[in-house]
Amino acid sequence: MSRLRYIAKRVALSVPVVWLGTTMTWAIIYLGPIDPATRLLSEGQTQNPAAYEAARTQLGLDQPPLQHYFDWMGSLLTFDLGQTWLLYQGSDVNALILDFLPRTLWLGFWSVLIAVCIGVPLGFYAGMRSNTASDYVASMGGIVWRAMPNFWLGIMLLAVLGSSQAIFGFDWQSLWIELDALTGSPDLSRLHTVEGFLAATKKVLPAAIVLGSASMGNEMRIGRTAVLEVRNEDYVDLARAKGVSERALVWKHIFRNALIPLVPIITSEAFLLIGGSVLVETVFSINGIGLLFFNAATQGDLPLVGTLMYVFILLIVGVNLLQDVLYTVIDPRVGLEGA
Amino acid sequence: MSDEPLLSVRDLEVVFHTERERIHAVDGVTFEIREGQTVGLVGESGSGKSVTARSILGLVDEPGRIEGGEILYRGEDLTEDNWADHRGDIAIVFQDPTNSLNPVYTIGNQIEEALRIHQDLRGRAATDRAIELLEDVGIPDAPRRVDEYPHQLSGGMAQRAVIAMALACDPDLLVCDEPTTALDVTIQAQILDLLAELQAEQDLAILFITHDMGVIEDATDWVNVIYAGEVVERAPTEALFDHPAHPYTRALLESIPGRTDPDERLPTIEGEVPTPTGPATDCRFAPRCPEAFEDCRSVAPEHVSLDGDRSAACLLHDPARSDGGERQ
Amino acid sequence: MAGAHGPSSDAADDEVTPETASTILPTESPTLVWVGLGAGLLAFEVGALATFLVAILSDTLAAASLPGVGFVEGIEAAARQLPTLLSRETVPNEGYWNGQRWVGTFLGLRPEVAWGIRVALVYLYALAVAGWAVLGYRLYRREYRAADWTPRDDVIDRFRNHGWGLFGLAVVFMFVVMAVFAPALGPTTVDKNMRNSYDNELTYWDAETDSVETILVGEANLASQSRGDGEERVGPMEYDDFGRFHPFGTLPTGRDLFTFIAVGSRISLVIGLLSVGLSVGVATSLALIGAYYKGRVDLGMVLVSDGVMAMPQLLLLIMLTTVLKDTWVAGLYSGAFLLALIFAFTGWTYMWRSLRGPALQVSERQWIDAAKSFGQRPRTIMRQHMLPYITGYLLIYGSMTLGGAIIAIAGLSFLGLGVSPPTPEWGRAVNLGQEYVDTGSWHISLIPGLLITLVVTGFNALGDGIRDAIDPRSDAAGSDADDGAAAGRGGGA
Repeated sequence: MSRLRYIAKRVALSVPVVWLGTTMTWAIIYLGPIDPATRLLSEGQTQNPAAYEAARTQLGLDQPPLQHYFDWMGSLLTFDLGQTWLLYQGSDVNALILDFLPRTLWLGFWSVLIAVCIGVPLGFYAGMRSNTASDYVASMGGIVWRAMPNFWLGIMLLAVLGSSQAIFGFDWQSLWIELDALTGSPDLSRLHTVEGFLAATKKVLPAAIVLGSASMGNEMRIGRTAVLEVRNEDYVDLARAKGVSERALVWKHIFRNALIPLVPIITSEAFLLIGGSVLVETVFSINGIGLLFFNAATQGDLPLVGTLMYVFILLIVGVNLLQDVLYTVIDPRVGLEGA
Repeated sequence: MSDEPLLSVRDLEVVFHTERERIHAVDGVTFEIREGQTVGLVGESGSGKSVTARSILGLVDEPGRIEGGEILYRGEDLTEDNWADHRGDIAIVFQDPTNSLNPVYTIGNQIEEALRIHQDLRGRAATDRAIELLEDVGIPDAPRRVDEYPHQLSGGMAQRAVIAMALACDPDLLVCDEPTTALDVTIQAQILDLLAELQAEQDLAILFITHDMGVIEDATDWVNVIYAGEVVERAPTEALFDHPAHPYTRALLESIPGRTDPDERLPTIEGEVPTPTGPATDCRFAPRCPEAFEDCRSVAPEHVSLDGDRSAACLLHDPARSDGGERQ
Repeated sequence: MAGAHGPSSDAADDEVTPETASTILPTESPTLVWVGLGAGLLAFEVGALATFLVAILSDTLAAASLPGVGFVEGIEAAARQLPTLLSRETVPNEGYWNGQRWVGTFLGLRPEVAWGIRVALVYLYALAVAGWAVLGYRLYRREYRAADWTPRDDVIDRFRNHGWGLFGLAVVFMFVVMAVFAPALGPTTVDKNMRNSYDNELTYWDAETDSVETILVGEANLASQSRGDGEERVGPMEYDDFGRFHPFGTLPTGRDLFTFIAVGSRISLVIGLLSVGLSVGVATSLALIGAYYKGRVDLGMVLVSDGVMAMPQLLLLIMLTTVLKDTWVAGLYSGAFLLALIFAFTGWTYMWRSLRGPALQVSERQWIDAAKSFGQRPRTIMRQHMLPYITGYLLIYGSMTLGGAIIAIAGLSFLGLGVSPPTPEWGRAVNLGQEYVDTGSWHISLIPGLLITLVVTGFNALGDGIRDAIDPRSDAAGSDADDGAAAGRGGGA
């Protein structure tokens, strides 16, 4: 019961968070020093008062700011997102997001999976063998890996894969499944077929490794310290004294407890992943929502920037809620300590 | 009592390797426990008593290592990595009950784990037995408690649950490492009573590790006084309290409130327990000892047998030394 | 780790007896000698210092289009006249081969040797200044500090034995020196090589005509581009056709990569320090206020920071740099100032999250209640009774956030945002070299990336070292799990 209450409380608290984030976005775009209407118009049109006025009316900027704010928030709330101005001119924003978002989610899914599947076991391994040579190698690797800029790592990885024939003796592009190019968007339309699934996975794999790199380093670090801490707890000694086998000790008593501090890490990576998606999608030319955001920002489609920011805020708050749910599953103490 | 002791610790050496030095946390500790007996190991914090307790169960963590001596359980040396064969024969209860139970599993789960390993009980049978054990250690409403998590129990209740978990292993020897220190005074007495009761019922031997002379007096048959990694005096409890032989024991007894004249200031022992970093070349208590004389600083005292079975490691009782030594 | 003693190991131990102490400075008045040494060191660089300070002033005035620009430019010219011993003029590396020998280089040495000497001198000088500062601290500790021992001494001792932290300190030191002495370190200058390359001439030995010729730097750059293999590149530690030495090779534009990176390190450091300073200020004040008043104030801050954090930092950075691109603030120091402001606005939340716990803990202490009970003002309580207990955390998170800021700045300039060209920034070098990584001109992207990795690792290691030194038992999985980790990573760049 109290766990449900805990989750309900978290949901209630996330409402003002979404509202605040969205309001700040609105303020930055519509109260900022740039007039969104002028940015939407081409060079020639800016001189044309009629075109300018039309743009303002369309954006609702002729209304008082407060009225505009409520209209804007209302349309976001109902997902009545209108049409684009500059980018993919005139297309439906909802359709655009639905088109671009899956590619980013696909990329994010694999990067989380790769990071968790490599980072956590490596960290646990290092923690279980603390202060041995393998621990030092793994820890050092994690620290350096974490400090590498994603965009640079992406470029380097592409260069290596591009000449994989010369370096590793096999050609990445034609390995297992032939890819049309190293970079570019994955084809998600054939995910239901085995081959389509593998092709789409292979396509985003290098990008996912890069995007997950920072998270992987974090997870390793935290996993290592967590295991080290739990190993020294009395209850582990007591379980050992009780005659619990080493394997059960590690899997039952150590790992489950060590996972608790990893939960916020794995979810706080949502910040890193969504932020990093801009750069990684740029480097790997993946037509995801991050690249869309970047293009909208640089080309001046500020209304689209605001709408996309709203989508990102929803994503992040959603991931945070997921984290709270995960917590209640792993740690029985949550919700009972008056959190 | 049989001739062979249940547990016999001989010349135990536990060394902690730090970056700078080797710390001899336990430096030649020798004592024994017979079946059904309650033996106390008493000393200040830092004297090496908890490390001794952990060594008996093979729980010394890095950077500590057992580097010498024997721990004989029924004549078999555990230090030759035999702990696995005797898991459950020796159980341990730690000081802090809130850290002794795994926070993410229910009490029942953790007791049943021991039952499965040592009594081959599973499922319903295990749960029933766990509830019985919880009732044995005096936890009210045991059928409900068995499904609760450790953080839902008070400290005293958690310690009872830890004892229940220890009993689930069906041990011959229970090592209690300061089992009451973290608890309220009233709860302390309850736990001590519980332990005495269990011992009488189950013919359990108990090694009681504490810094509290009062607890020793109440609970034990035999005492070993430990100082800076060495046992400095061993004696039957009553005899020790009547005639302490080692100056350190005397000082410990004098510092118990209520044993001296209430109008006087309570005597204390000045200074701290030294951290031994090498083999003993002197009496380690000498710097704090009111009765130290010159030889105390140059000779490491050996145990001298006194009346009965008792002995003390002090030059005052060494006929060859104390007679000729100048008192300072 | 007994072997990990730094250069200042011997006398800094606590119990400095009078005998050993006198070996620090064998004189009657150590303070005077110390001040004298400082003045001596300062004399080497007085010109550079004056020029730098005046240049900042004039940049600011020019960008804000305030009056007095001409006047300040006058001072700038005067400042340039001040002598600088460690400058490129004193140890020049730019010269030309006249057929028999090198002309114009330091002592007629080959340019690479002359340049190497200058770099070595600069780092020796920086080490000397650092040593001088350590000496000063020890002098203060021995002569002026009333207390024989303070807890801070233990912190310093622990840090001195922390190999990983010392590694971080060394890397950070190298980086800071590079940033501070950037103009003297490069084989050429930004002004001559990049900004005004068509206003400067270059003398060189033309092998074809066997004669000494002159050419505009801009034209020489065009012929020294790195855009591929073999002839089309000038790699690391190579000379171009005009006798110019390029320690890191050239950019695709033919400009010198080392100069680019050295000056780029300066802008990274300035933005990093400024933004971390600002977010530390905001985060500390809010953490103290929130911890003092608790309840609704604290809840409000949680919501606001969650609101800011709900916008992914890098995206918020992109949005804000776009929106504020044309304002006058964006003109300050090639946009660096604006970037620092934006960073502070988006980054304080992470720092505040990390400080909130410790601040709340301190606020529970009894001395706070005691101070409240006798009517101390809230401001004073926060400043005197709470702040000192969280300054350690400021250092830790400050160091890690700085690393993150450097990555994020590089990421933005990789995308073409933030620091405006031609002011060098590391991320832009990565971008410029992107098309050529799989050719012989791999160095353009590789070197800046490696340096970013190294510097960020250094800042993280320094943070780790400080944390362990302040509280050796604090390596708790929970303590840096939440946000320190995310903050150290520049929002995912």
